[in-house]
Amino acid sequence: MEKKRITKGISLIFLLIMAFIWIVPLLYTILSSFKSEADIQSSAFTILPINWVIGNYQDVLFANTSAPVAKWFMNSLIISVSQTVLVIVLVSLAGYGYSRMKFKGRDAIFIFLMATMMFPAVVNLIPLYKIIDTLGWVNNYMAAIVPGAAGVFNIFLVRQFMQGIPIDFDESARVDGASDFQIFTKLILPLIRPVLTVVALFTFTGSWNDFLWPSIVFNEVEKMPITPGLQLLQGMYALDVAHALTGALIAIVPTFILYLFTQKYFMESLSLSSGVKG
Amino acid sequence: MINTGENKELSMSTAIMKNSRKKRLNLSPYLYIGPHLILFGIFFLFPTLYGIYISFTNWDLIGEPEFVGLANYAEILVNKDSTFYDQLRIGLGNTFKFVLFTVPACIIVPLLLAAGLNTKPKGLKFFQALFYMPTLFSVSAVMIVFAMLFSVSFGPINHYLNVDTNWLSTQPYAWFTLVIVTVWWTIGGNMIIYQAALNGISKDLYEAASIDGANSVQKFFKITLPSIRAQILYTVVITTIAQFNVYGQPLMLTKGGPTSSTTVLLMYIQENAFGSGISIAGIGAAMAVILGICIMIVSAIQFFFLRQRD
Repeated sequence: MEKKRITKGISLIFLLIMAFIWIVPLLYTILSSFKSEADIQSSAFTILPINWVIGNYQDVLFANTSAPVAKWFMNSLIISVSQTVLVIVLVSLAGYGYSRMKFKGRDAIFIFLMATMMFPAVVNLIPLYKIIDTLGWVNNYMAAIVPGAAGVFNIFLVRQFMQGIPIDFDESARVDGASDFQIFTKLILPLIRPVLTVVALFTFTGSWNDFLWPSIVFNEVEKMPITPGLQLLQGMYALDVAHALTGALIAIVPTFILYLFTQKYFMESLSLSSGVKG
Repeated sequence: MINTGENKELSMSTAIMKNSRKKRLNLSPYLYIGPHLILFGIFFLFPTLYGIYISFTNWDLIGEPEFVGLANYAEILVNKDSTFYDQLRIGLGNTFKFVLFTVPACIIVPLLLAAGLNTKPKGLKFFQALFYMPTLFSVSAVMIVFAMLFSVSFGPINHYLNVDTNWLSTQPYAWFTLVIVTVWWTIGGNMIIYQAALNGISKDLYEAASIDGANSVQKFFKITLPSIRAQILYTVVITTIAQFNVYGQPLMLTKGGPTSSTTVLLMYIQENAFGSGISIAGIGAAMAVILGICIMIVSAIQFFFLRQRD
């Protein structure tokens, strides 16, 4: 018993030290967003702002500068929500097809899709740009919404989940005269809500935080999502720490809020998404 | 009129459906998997294959690709006078360094955190949320914050350590900062996976070991680690693949410096294909293929090595 308490004590000290390291950048960002630039640049660093100001937020969001953060924020919101909806529709349809319908070549196609996950995505970067260019989607939301929905990992997740639902459900519904589409919408969709929530969370967060691809397909400042936008912000406010940090803080708000409301799902989903049982 | 026409069509199609019920059943699955397969074909499969093809061409992203065989590969792999040869050597070397420096930390730190959290301390939920949270932030937001934290003149790190170290533009500090940032930013996912795995280990095993007189270190290596081997294998492979694709951290934090000592291959690929000036997409594609081959080989080695240890 004594030994157990020592182990517990040591691990608590370790966790507290790590928590300190993890919380400092967050506190620094939040507090700096309320500091005036003069306070930040002064050689005497203070933890709390000497004078609390909200001007950084006003400037970053509403001032008519070459860094339209509010516009970027809205662009990101449109892109991320659209992609999430598109992915949910695609994966629930496909998951139903691969898990509950019988057709020729089903398993072969599915195994092929899974095998492509091993192939490094970096190879398709350059031709993908050409395709987007050909479609006229450069500087268009579509460029950030559609290609990301072609992935296969979420289909794997949804199919796994659907296979856990007894096939007898479908059979008895079919006896009652339900069509495939009715079984899909009325019976299966409500049952797979948990896994669809997980897919939605991952898709939204992934889309919101994507960096390399949007910085390639968006070169007009007004059209950009916020993640590549912030890179410009860093360059523009090269010496303006307060504004850059305020912009960074604004950019993390949506995924943070999403996490707060769905914390339980996030935790479950990550262990689920490892795809390996303990 | 229109209504009756529609009705007629409807009843006709029902009749056809009834007559060829088998045929209809064979087609309908493709309506479910089809939409995704189409997008997959256009936006993943085709560009991937085409990417391999253009690595054998001379291409500027605008005109027609001109087939040049292995010329791009010869240029970047053996032509010592070429800038692209240097770019590949430097970029790939730095990418490998980054993987080597970050992957062990991104496995060990979250494992220790998960083990700590597994003792169910007070404030468990708070700790868990805090360590997981950075994973939700975009690379550009995180890099702005760390660039400021590590700033020479006004950063709190130098202020409190009472030094004036140039963290971002002198070595080995630049590498040190990149590793710290990456660990801070990315360990959340692995931590949760380990937490779930540790939760699944039966308490009986530990009790039996205690009776046999095992101490906590022995228990960790003899019970804990073997029990979560599947998850460790998974996280090692996934983390390695993720780190090979490193781009945002050196781009924004160290700008690839000092003197290209942290310029990673994806930065050169991006620059060659999409940078200012005429695109040399063929060279960029060849670099991407080589990076892809490295990723596949390394993950295959890890997979077989970690699998066959038993």
